[in-house]
Amino acid sequence: MDSGNGTALEVFTSVCDDFYATARAAAASGRKVAGFVCSYAPQELLHAAGYLPVRVLGRPGGTPRADQLLQAYACSLARSSFDAALSGEFDFMDLVVFSHTCDTMQNLADLWRSSRPNQKVVIVSAPTVTSGPAALSYYRKVLADVREQIEALSGPISDEAIRASIDLYARHRNLVQRLYDLRREHSELISGRELLAVVTSSMMMDKEEHLRLLEPFVAELESAGDVKAKRLPRVFVAGSVCQNMGFVTALEEAGCMVVDDDLCMGGRSFSLPEPPAGDPMDALVEMYLGRRPCPAFHTPGFDPGAFLVERARAARAAGVVFLLTKFCDPWFFDYPHVNKSLEAAGIPGLLVEVEQNLPVPEQFRTRAEAFVELLKAKAE
Amino acid sequence: MGVQYFAGVDVGSATAKAVLVDAAGTICAHVVVPSGGNLTLAADRVLAAALERVGAVPGDIAALVATGYGRESVANRTKTVTEITCHAKGAHVLYPDARAVIDIGGQDSKAISLDAAGMIRKFEMNDKCAAGTGRFLEVMARTLEVPLDEVGPRALTADRPAKISSTCTVFAESEVISLLAQGETVERILAGLCLSISQRVNSLAMRAGMAPRVIMTGGVAKNTGVVRAIEKAVGLPLTVPDQPQIMGALGAALLARNEAVK
Repeated sequence: MDSGNGTALEVFTSVCDDFYATARAAAASGRKVAGFVCSYAPQELLHAAGYLPVRVLGRPGGTPRADQLLQAYACSLARSSFDAALSGEFDFMDLVVFSHTCDTMQNLADLWRSSRPNQKVVIVSAPTVTSGPAALSYYRKVLADVREQIEALSGPISDEAIRASIDLYARHRNLVQRLYDLRREHSELISGRELLAVVTSSMMMDKEEHLRLLEPFVAELESAGDVKAKRLPRVFVAGSVCQNMGFVTALEEAGCMVVDDDLCMGGRSFSLPEPPAGDPMDALVEMYLGRRPCPAFHTPGFDPGAFLVERARAARAAGVVFLLTKFCDPWFFDYPHVNKSLEAAGIPGLLVEVEQNLPVPEQFRTRAEAFVELLKAKAE
Repeated sequence: MGVQYFAGVDVGSATAKAVLVDAAGTICAHVVVPSGGNLTLAADRVLAAALERVGAVPGDIAALVATGYGRESVANRTKTVTEITCHAKGAHVLYPDARAVIDIGGQDSKAISLDAAGMIRKFEMNDKCAAGTGRFLEVMARTLEVPLDEVGPRALTADRPAKISSTCTVFAESEVISLLAQGETVERILAGLCLSISQRVNSLAMRAGMAPRVIMTGGVAKNTGVVRAIEKAVGLPLTVPDQPQIMGALGAALLARNEAVK
């Protein structure tokens, strides 16, 4: 790999080493920053209002402050994000956008509002069932209200500005999708860990800046030509948020290649359809309801089990590793059904519960290695 | 040149095991020693002891597969293989009709389902907590002042198991002390502990999928009280090899033999 891509990858990786350093620096130089907890937050609206949207992903380490206020079964994303907020680490964010994905996040939004009175909290309640005329008209009203709440802080947001942000985000999304296509076909060109760094950093950095680095990065990989394929088992990763890069890293160190994913810090958040023309607010409604649903939502006709089998097969994956954030109830309620579909298709699966803010447990390495051994034996 | 041996060294949290097999795959020596604090040293000691049994020297080892929690600490290894694959291999070679393995060691418990060819279909492991493993039993035996090898036989003499509700080793220990203070018999408490282990293992077993014949491996398989309790919980008879502790090392030695054939 030449120095150009080396440099871009270094930037993406360094952002993942310290999620908020870029945003904190931007805030210090006067930029308004908006945190968003969930990928269903309409980032284009925040961007159009002049905010730097930054994903709220908690941070490594203990959570003694949040432990006082959250019950034991709140997930590590909620717990470590809230702990960081309570300690003042997120004071550089002017507002924080929550989505109604699960009870924990819904209630965390209220707790956050009462604990951080100087930080505006906005809740985006996307409809649980994401299709049909009622869902569309309801979500149209929700987004109009969210726009008004943001405008109350930022001043008016023009339709033109929203359209420009929609187009910018779509260009970026297309690049990420090209990177996913590339990895599926030429998996030796970019590792799972590297792609995770690209995706995660894109949620932390200024979009134009990320795009500027990503365009030549993708183009160079696409022109890399034939690289000798490694004969390692191909693995598909599914799960919730996955800000702890250690798990994908350890998984690949166990001797496999991550070739595709259905992660919130991954393919799922970049599955929005092309923006339709016309009214930009209508476009946002269609895009966010038309994306691949996360397990917190339901799209009639979308079967998450059948979907995963189809994606795993398309990626020629020998097995699926589930990295599920512990206590992520939307995912864990889906899991038995999804796993059954995989078993019926003869695709081995490995379920791992992840505490996002803690180091990778030694036992995970044993399980990952045993899974790779299983896949290799099956292939022989 | 003398006989060539293939070695399997399984360094677990409680004990280190070594097995030597010959080119035909026959077991020539097996040794178990406590792991202690230095895993590399434990691996060296257990392998040296095995070599001594057959009057061989390290140079007679054609290939060595290291397994277990301390597998990375084993010197001169040809490769490392996880204990999951090794236990499955050992069980399948000794019992070709094996379709499942339950392994309870010092800190880990595992349930593995196998297909007819001995390949792993699925495996489940206890995570985050060592309740229901060998260490749990050791702590309880010490609290009750019962020698470890008497735990099983005495548990089996109880008319009913005492109710142990805590799954945490430390809390269960204080629960055991309370039960003693309330006048509960040692036998009933032991039976309650065996039941508690069996319930934890059964949830792993159900997730992995069990079918006859089920082989139980690992040090805890020497405890008849636990074995009977698991049979009742799983609803299937368990086959316990003569030396359940060495199954991982045996699997590793057999894999070392495959490695050398390659």
